[in-house]
Amino acid sequence: MNATVARLTARSLLGRRRAYLLMALPGVLIVLCVLVRLLAGEDNDITVGILGGFALSTLVPLLGLIAGTGSIGPEIDDGSIVYLLSKPLSRHSIAGTKAAVAASVVTVFAAVPVLVAGLVLAGTSNGLAAGYFLGALVAGLAYATLFLLLAVVTRHAVVIGLIYALIWESLVGSYVPGAQALSIQQWSLALSAKVVGAKAQALGVTSAVSLGAAVPLLVVLAVGSTWYAGHRLRSLRLTSDE
Amino acid sequence: MSTPAEPRAAAARPGAGVIHDLGYRHYDGVRLGRAAITRALFVESAKGAYGLGRSTRSKVMPLLLLAAISLPALIIAVVAAVTAADKLPTNYTAYALHLQLVVMVYVAGQAPAGVSRDLRFRVMSLYLSRPLERIDYVAAKYAALTAATFVLMALPLTILFVGALLAKLPVGEQVPDYLRSLGGAFLTALVLAGIGLVIAAVTPRRGLGVAAIIAVLAVLAGVQGAVQGIADHENQDTFAGYAGLFSPFTLVHGVQSSLLGAENELPAGPPGALGGVVFLAVVVGVVAACFGALLLRYRRVSI
Amino acid sequence: MAVLLLDKVSRWFGNVVAVNDVTMSIGPGVTGLLGPNGAGKSTLIHMMGGFLPPSAGSVTLDGEVVWRNEQIYRRIGLVPEREAMYDVVTGWEFVLANARLHRLDDPEAAARRALETVEMTDAQGRDISTYSKGMKQRVKMATALVHDPPVLLLDEPFNGMDPRQRLHLMTLLQRMAEQGRTVLFSSHILEEVEQIAGSIEVMVSGRHAASGGFREIRQLMTERPHQYTIRSDDDRRLASAIIAEPSTSGVQLMAAHGTEGFAARGAPSTGSRDGSSALHVQAVDFSAFVRVLPELASRHGIRLYEVTPADESLESVFAYLVAR
Repeated sequence: MNATVARLTARSLLGRRRAYLLMALPGVLIVLCVLVRLLAGEDNDITVGILGGFALSTLVPLLGLIAGTGSIGPEIDDGSIVYLLSKPLSRHSIAGTKAAVAASVVTVFAAVPVLVAGLVLAGTSNGLAAGYFLGALVAGLAYATLFLLLAVVTRHAVVIGLIYALIWESLVGSYVPGAQALSIQQWSLALSAKVVGAKAQALGVTSAVSLGAAVPLLVVLAVGSTWYAGHRLRSLRLTSDE
Repeated sequence: MSTPAEPRAAAARPGAGVIHDLGYRHYDGVRLGRAAITRALFVESAKGAYGLGRSTRSKVMPLLLLAAISLPALIIAVVAAVTAADKLPTNYTAYALHLQLVVMVYVAGQAPAGVSRDLRFRVMSLYLSRPLERIDYVAAKYAALTAATFVLMALPLTILFVGALLAKLPVGEQVPDYLRSLGGAFLTALVLAGIGLVIAAVTPRRGLGVAAIIAVLAVLAGVQGAVQGIADHENQDTFAGYAGLFSPFTLVHGVQSSLLGAENELPAGPPGALGGVVFLAVVVGVVAACFGALLLRYRRVSI
Repeated sequence: MAVLLLDKVSRWFGNVVAVNDVTMSIGPGVTGLLGPNGAGKSTLIHMMGGFLPPSAGSVTLDGEVVWRNEQIYRRIGLVPEREAMYDVVTGWEFVLANARLHRLDDPEAAARRALETVEMTDAQGRDISTYSKGMKQRVKMATALVHDPPVLLLDEPFNGMDPRQRLHLMTLLQRMAEQGRTVLFSSHILEEVEQIAGSIEVMVSGRHAASGGFREIRQLMTERPHQYTIRSDDDRRLASAIIAEPSTSGVQLMAAHGTEGFAARGAPSTGSRDGSSALHVQAVDFSAFVRVLPELASRHGIRLYEVTPADESLESVFAYLVAR
């Protein structure tokens, strides 16, 4: 962890246009939930639908994508990462710090709003708010580190990340059940279900993956992505203006 | 490599210069006008949206998405032909709705590729210093992305249609539905291209445009789903019907189901004839607003 | 002693060979890496800076391999060509951040020193996005100097600089070299290299075409005749005497204002500077000619006003090497 790297990353990640996007998405979620609560009252189906079907399946991956790729992608793209790499700093330290910044950003802009949305929609009943908060937290972490790695490895990280998060996880997953075993969304839903407890099945908070499988997978993914990103940074080639 | 001596020598000799004829020839023929330039830009952008005329790398994503959206259609068509079914398992219009994610990702990827790069690398001056007005540029780019997105949606629908014909399903039943779905595809392409281009034109940074477009489309879809859900819950049918206005896909589907007579796949369609007209008006309004926004954005671009 | 050693280094990108079997040793002092665009200069500097691995051969600094070696950056300061920096911070914050990343004991003092050296203390409080190109180049220099490295690598540092800034940077580089540092900079502009480089390395099409001082290189190129411009009080008589000598192969009488004739390859002027007539001599054996000329002049009673080597400039060296 390096405070200077963290500071530089945070400042460029929270630059103007990206910040608007990062604030607008959870803003819409919360406004929506407030409206829903006012108009439809407390309803478990709607809560699960919005938190599971919109927040967890779309909002969290999207914010993870923006934070994860935004914490290193633009720097590699315009070559300013040379200022970080031409220092006697371990590359793993650079990758780890950036991952930490991205994870913090996702937590603040995705997980916490999910918690707020859950409380707005369902209060503390059934532990839905807490469950989805935990799910969003670990999912955000996993997405951020995975997309950070993707941004180090390729210049088209955003599109590839989108194809994974939206098409693979949502579309393919709903038609090909096997694909759900490789879905961050399912892994985090397993955690949500555990927190919601006994009524999870009845409420519709289910996961295609068991808890025993989900937790190690999430940990391995987050740690492995960060480590591999640091490894790839060691052999990053800089070219002159493309 | 010639030395710099010659130009300097030429400058040192007052009035005794010679220009050698190297065979450079002027073009004195007919010069095509604005319309031709606009048409050329349109064709080039439309082809570029599938990577034709660009590097191999840029072909991967569009063709992958084209394959992804056509594959299920192919499977359905083959299955229908082989099992000699008497009805296709899915409507043409329903197919478009189910695979909206693929179309969204395509637009999110190709809108920035067409427009953001010109802005990021500041080559707009190269375009505008020709007899090409800003409105021509905007119109060409808009039309190109619309055409490319239309092809993306029309291909699987056509595959389904061909499969239905091969399965010897009654043509009279298939044709109207097929045409309706093509009309819907065209309107959807128009709306999506508009939204995509407006967002891409304000986010020249690589990667941000893609994320922003998907974010906006996803949020719209989510809002639409939520509003629909609430309205259903409250048994507010009119409201539920108008919920379709929020997302481009449901918006166009509403037009299809109320005005073109397609089957409604959503929980609630636009209520009555008025609803249909409102939906159509919103479609037109959105397209016009996007075009206007693009013009405004490009008015600020200086040569 | 900070010596960069490139040993049989090659680098290819698919089918394109960017650097072809280059062996060179860069020691203390100012070395200019010269070559036309596309000659492989940037590729070479990236390899020396540890940002590109050689496809063959090795790049070492005092025996240590540069690739994948983070600690080597304590001893290398790199000024990259690309303009992009962290736009959202001020100049001061950026240099300070660089100082901190180097784990210096007193980062603020080092940053202050570096900014003073590049004369950016007035503007250090402004965001980098508001800087002009020359100011950004100076901040880049500051980040490279902040940790006092014995080796400085600069990739096209004079790009986009106005004459005053260029002069300032040249003085700075010379000062660095006098302190015993190894300074390497790349350029395709001959005047820049000529003015400060003690030794030059010429790259042409990926090959190492020549190295050493440019005068020495010139003298090594004996296949080419040397050109001289001579002004005297009787050019025609001198010309007829000179052409009789076996050490010359051509004499041209340039009339006033140089309106006649063509300039020989590489010659920077067709007449003498003040427009009066001059002699243009092509010498195949320049050492013999140089000895015989004063003798001739005194024998014939001709007064020599000006004897200038007409192509002893980096430009002609360069033109020759590129055309080979």
